[in-house]
Amino acid sequence: MPKQKLTVIIVVGAVAVVVAVRIFLSLSAGQMDPSRMRAKGDPKARVRIVEFIDFQCPACADGALKLKKIYTLHPEDVRIEMKYFPLMTIHRHTMTASTYAECAGRQGKFWPMHDLLVERQAQWRDLISAEGMFTQFAREAGVEEAALQRCLASPDVEQTVMQDRDLGRSLGVESTPTYFINHKVVVGSKSLTEELNQYFGQNR
Amino acid sequence: MIFPLLRIVTGGVLLVSGFEKTIHPYQNFLYAIQAYQMLPGWAETLTAVLAPWVELITGLFLMLGLWTMQALRWALMLFAVFIVVVAQALLRALPLDHCGCFGSWIQATPRQIIVFDSFCFLALMVLLRHLAKTQRFSLDERFTRR
Repeated sequence: MPKQKLTVIIVVGAVAVVVAVRIFLSLSAGQMDPSRMRAKGDPKARVRIVEFIDFQCPACADGALKLKKIYTLHPEDVRIEMKYFPLMTIHRHTMTASTYAECAGRQGKFWPMHDLLVERQAQWRDLISAEGMFTQFAREAGVEEAALQRCLASPDVEQTVMQDRDLGRSLGVESTPTYFINHKVVVGSKSLTEELNQYFGQNR
Repeated sequence: MIFPLLRIVTGGVLLVSGFEKTIHPYQNFLYAIQAYQMLPGWAETLTAVLAPWVELITGLFLMLGLWTMQALRWALMLFAVFIVVVAQALLRALPLDHCGCFGSWIQATPRQIIVFDSFCFLALMVLLRHLAKTQRFSLDERFTRR
């Protein structure tokens, strides 16, 4: 077989393997079933955003604040749904923050708790123990404390968080923040700004 | 024996790195590139789409020993670029948790990766200098024998 022909076969073969793996990964990816508890906005809004965030990641807080601003300005055009993607190996409080948010959500207070966690991230991310501050946030968010403590002790809370993370992994999420904006993958705060500019303009 | 082994190992590094990035959404690698704050937006996207394929094909050719000399030169160029990119990030003290070189499969700090890349660069220089030995157990060797 001539060398050039073998070269073409190897290149085409490599491309075919990559395409096959991508197809396999997309077929085995989990379904993003909508969670009403951690979603806000019209389900039929023209811009549907699913965010995979880690509460302790600074870029996630930045992105969350951008999304909050967009939602405030265009509530009828945007649907935001939040999924947990805690990076426990690098962020010590991320799982705890996620469980507090999840338990607040079970009392219908997910978004107030979410907003407090991201807006005041700088106050807690470097603490040795952040539970006290999270409990204070929960109080401010209007969460009933006894029910919160019972919820935090429940093993299925962490399980819910991990299910989101596994779903993210199956969808190709590697880092945070990762967004799916009308099904298009957008990673990072900079790309989020560029993508939102396309929908709402720079002077949104 | 050491030369073909080094060729396969350095090729394998590029192959794994390229494969991880090509099978996942390119936006993950784009995010890693953006952290280095070196390129304009359009060039970041272009690099995120094309560079993994260059890594993959170069790595594959290097491992198989097909077009070995050309693959070695491409690999040298790639590692030189990696070293420059990571070095400028270290000099500017950019806040990078990890280098973003292998996606989520292997996570290394910029300091670790610059040492590793420098080792690969030097290894490739040696391989290029001893091309005949490097081409042992390669497809090129089969073609030259004919």
